[in-house]
Amino acid sequence: MPGPVLVSVLVERLDINRESVLVVRNGMLVPGDERLEDTDEVEIRPVISGGS
Amino acid sequence: MKCRVCRGPAVIDVRRHNANFCGDHFVRHCQEQVRRAIDDFDMINPGDRVLVAVSGGKDSLAVWDLLLGLGFEADGLYIGLGIGDYSDTSGSYARRFAESRGLKLLEVDLPTDHGFDIPTGAKAAKRVPCSACGLSKRYLFDRAALEGNYDVLVTGHNLDDEAAVLFGNTLRWDVDYLGRQYPVLPSRSGFPKKAKPLVRLTERESAAYCLITGIDYLVDECPMAAGNRHLGYKELLNDLEVRSPGAKADFYFSYLRNAASYFRSPEGAPTAELGECGRCGAPAQGELCAFCRLQERAAAVAVDAPRRRTATTTDSVSAETTTSDIAASHEQHHDSYTGGSQ
Repeated sequence: MPGPVLVSVLVERLDINRESVLVVRNGMLVPGDERLEDTDEVEIRPVISGGS
Repeated sequence: MKCRVCRGPAVIDVRRHNANFCGDHFVRHCQEQVRRAIDDFDMINPGDRVLVAVSGGKDSLAVWDLLLGLGFEADGLYIGLGIGDYSDTSGSYARRFAESRGLKLLEVDLPTDHGFDIPTGAKAAKRVPCSACGLSKRYLFDRAALEGNYDVLVTGHNLDDEAAVLFGNTLRWDVDYLGRQYPVLPSRSGFPKKAKPLVRLTERESAAYCLITGIDYLVDECPMAAGNRHLGYKELLNDLEVRSPGAKADFYFSYLRNAASYFRSPEGAPTAELGECGRCGAPAQGELCAFCRLQERAAAVAVDAPRRRTATTTDSVSAETTTSDIAASHEQHHDSYTGGSQ
């Protein structure tokens, strides 16, 4: 996906529930209004675990 | 976004609090939420010896770290469940956390110490793996806490876990389970006191706490939990949360405040009388406790396996009796979910 793009927009475009992930850029947590560039390495980390 | 407290750059937004936080103030927010849960529900008293059930995942490591940060004395307990590489990996995360901080980590290995693993136990019980896993963990947690003379057994259940369990119990209007769902359960004969200090934090907050504080945890989900009902409930509740921030907390804490008392017995414990397991002495409804019966059936499955490769007979384990085993395990005065699998 080409940048620049806001974190919140990226998550929405990927159809991911924002409550179920954290977005990490270059190893650092970033909030929804952060702008991501083409050169950024971005991890969308799931946070939901299902152990029961 | 700016931090609500210091106006510095925020790293996370917490919509249900209508707040953004920088790293330092987010950590403080988590500490305050845990402190408040402990105080509101009288979870841990000063000087208590605490045993934390750790899986190597975010919630259990976060709660261990938070309790230590709040000044509590807390050891860890890791249970190897024999779920292939997943168990090997999760154990290494728990050990690294303990070693790097000089903490005491107790370990129990289900295959080595009790002769079966979760896949075999699930097959024997003819249930989904999460049922056999939950039953085994509850038993081993209780036993370790009692044998170690710990005052409180802590698990890493978070707000999402509790809201999802409440959602499932409410869908079925299961009044017995509803009566046992509470953030703290008192000790009684055969059971330690149990507490869930993360009930005021969501999974997203728990994961963010680990990222910000540098806790290295196992991100991968247990391969046996994929597609389970509990995960489905969490997805539904998160859909609701996006539309209405705070919905999960409202659902859970309004239940505790306004409805839980209708379902609980006066002592907060079930009224059914339990006997003693003839093999291990744990609380039991029949001659053996649910765990010892599971162990027996798992041994039978293991012995029968080679024979069945050439036979066409059906499994000799009765679905009816194994179902009652699971029900007996739920009879214990704790809810049916015990945090991350290992």
